[in-house]
Amino acid sequence: MMKLTKGIILLVVISMMFFLAGCAKRGVAPVEEVTPPAQPTQEEATMPEAEMPKMEEEVAVEPMLTTSSLEEEMATFEQNMIFFEFDKFSLNPEARKTLAEQASFLNSNPEIKLRIEGYCDERGTLEYNLALGERRAKSAQEYLVFLGINPDRISIISYGEERPMDPNHNEDAWAKNRRAQFDILGK
Amino acid sequence: MKKKVWLLLLLCIFPTSLALAARLDIHIQARGFTKLKVAMPYFTGPADLTSGIWSMCAKDLAISGVFEVLSPQSYINPGPVSTIAQGTLKDWALIGADYIITGNVSRRSDMVTLDVQVIEVASAKFIDRKTYSTSAQTIHTAVHAFMDTFLDKSLGLKEMFSSKIIAVRRQNSKKQICSFWCDATGWREIKGLGDLVLNPAWSKDAKKVAFVSYWRDNPDLYLLDLVTNKVELLSGRKGINSTPAFHPSGSMMACTLSINGNPEIYFLDLASKKIQQITRSWATDTSPSFSPDGKYMAFCSDRCGTPQIYLMDLKERKVQRLTFEGRYNTEPVFSPRGDMIAFSHSANGIHQIALILTDGSQMTVLPGTGKGDESPTFSPDGRLIAFASSDGNIYVTDLVGSKPVRITNGEGVYSEPSWSLITK
Repeated sequence: MMKLTKGIILLVVISMMFFLAGCAKRGVAPVEEVTPPAQPTQEEATMPEAEMPKMEEEVAVEPMLTTSSLEEEMATFEQNMIFFEFDKFSLNPEARKTLAEQASFLNSNPEIKLRIEGYCDERGTLEYNLALGERRAKSAQEYLVFLGINPDRISIISYGEERPMDPNHNEDAWAKNRRAQFDILGK
Repeated sequence: MKKKVWLLLLLCIFPTSLALAARLDIHIQARGFTKLKVAMPYFTGPADLTSGIWSMCAKDLAISGVFEVLSPQSYINPGPVSTIAQGTLKDWALIGADYIITGNVSRRSDMVTLDVQVIEVASAKFIDRKTYSTSAQTIHTAVHAFMDTFLDKSLGLKEMFSSKIIAVRRQNSKKQICSFWCDATGWREIKGLGDLVLNPAWSKDAKKVAFVSYWRDNPDLYLLDLVTNKVELLSGRKGINSTPAFHPSGSMMACTLSINGNPEIYFLDLASKKIQQITRSWATDTSPSFSPDGKYMAFCSDRCGTPQIYLMDLKERKVQRLTFEGRYNTEPVFSPRGDMIAFSHSANGIHQIALILTDGSQMTVLPGTGKGDESPTFSPDGRLIAFASSDGNIYVTDLVGSKPVRITNGEGVYSEPSWSLITK
C-alpha cells in the first residue's frame, strides 16, 4: 500500500515536473526567438556609444534627435496606465493591449528598469485594498514577464487607496483610480 | 439598583431575540433600548471654564453608550445649579431624570477644582460626591476620572475613559498617526516616519504602537516605543508588510507579507524578527486579529472569490469561514470579551460595521452613519465600537444600533482607529 502511494506520488511529481518544464519552455520560447537578434543589438548599441564623441563632432543634431525621441517614448510609457474592475485584478483586453505596447518599448530599451504601482479606488477598505493594489501591480508584472521581459527588471509596489488620480467620489473617479502605473527607475 | 436589574434583563433578552433570526442579515434599528436619563444643569463657577467642562462631561455621557443627557432647556430652572435640594427631586423625576449631576468649578492660580455630586433620583441618594483638582491644561483627566466613577457607581460598568485611541489623520496630503483619549481630548501627533503612515495598532500594554510607513519607498512595518520614543524596523521585506496585530502574549504579532508572491498572514517574533507563514492560499489573506486568549485568529481572505471573514484555530490550524452574507466583508477584529468579531460589511457598496459570533451565527449589521463606516475597533470592555466614517470622522457606537456619537471635530480626515486597553 505504502509503495503504491509512494509510486503515485512519484508519478505525480514527475508528471508535474514535465508540466512545469513545458510551461517554462512555452514562456521562454518567444524570448529565445528575440534573444539572438537582441544580443547583437546590445553590442551594436554599446559600440556606437563608444564612438559617440567622434560622431557628435561631425553631426551634433543626430544624437539630439534620438535622445529626445527616447524621452518622448519614456514619457508615453509612464503615461500609459491600465485599469481594473472593482475588486478585480484580472487584465481586460485593453489592459493586455497596453501591456503589449509597454513590453515592446521595454524590449527595445533593455537597459530600462521599472516599477509598477498598483492602486485601488476608495470604496474598498484600507487594509484589503493594500493587498489588492499589490495584486494589480503583480498581474501587470506577470503579463510583462509572459511577454518576455526579464522579471529582474520589474519591481512592484502597492499604494492601496492612497494617491488617487482623481480625488472625486464618483464612478468616473473610481474607474480612473483602479489602476496600475509604470514608473521608470533611475531616470 | 432597580435600574441595574432592568438593564441586565434587557441584555439577557437581546441575544435571545436575535437567535430567532439567526443567519439572517438583520439591520438593527434602536430596538427599545432606552438609555438612562441624566439631568445635568450647567455648572456654577467662572464662565470661561464651566461651559467647556460641562460640554466635556455631556460628550462623555453620550459616548458611554448608556446615558442620555436631558437638555437643560427642559429643566424648571435652566441656569447653572451647584446643589440639588432634597425637596426638589420630584421635579427632576417629572422630566424623567434617572440621575442628576451637579458641578461647581473654581480656580486658584493655575489649579482648577471640580466639585461634583451625583444623585440617583429613584433612591434619592448621593451615589458620588467628589472633588477633583488639576491644572487647567489637564482638566479632561478630572472629567475622565469622574465619568469612570459614575459608570461604576451607577451601573457597575468598567472604566473606559482612561483608554486611548490612535488613528491615522490626513491633512495636506500627509498621513500621520495621532493619539487621543477616547473622547478626543488630549489630542497629539505621535512620532511616525515620513508622509504616509497606515495601519496603526496598539500593543496590549499600550506602551508600543506598530504601524506601516512608506519611509523607505515600500510599505514596511515599524514599531514605536512610546516610553523611549524610538522607532524600530520590524519587517522591510520585498512586497507589502502590513496590518500588524499584537498577539496577547506580547512576544509576537501577526501581519500580512507578500514576500512569497501573494499576500499571506505571517507570525513575526518581536525579539528575533523571524517570520513563520500561517496562511497558504492562492488568494489574498490579510487583516489578522487574535482572540483575547490568543488561541484563535480571525482574518480576511478572498479565497472563495470575494473577501470574507475566516477564523483559524491556531492549535489545529483549522480554518472556518464565518461570513456568507454580503460580497465584501473585511477588517475583522475580535471583541476583548472574545465572544464576537466586528468587521466592515458591504452588501450594496456602502460599508457598515457588522458583528458576528465566533461560530458564524447571529450576524448583525449596525446602522451606523449610513455614509460608509470602516475599520471597527472595540472599547476596552467590548461594550462599544469606534469606527471611521467616510466623512473623515471617528464615531463611537454601541452594539445594539443606537445613533453613533461623533468624537473628532472634522479637522483633518481620520481613518483606521485603534482603541487601547486601559492605559493606567
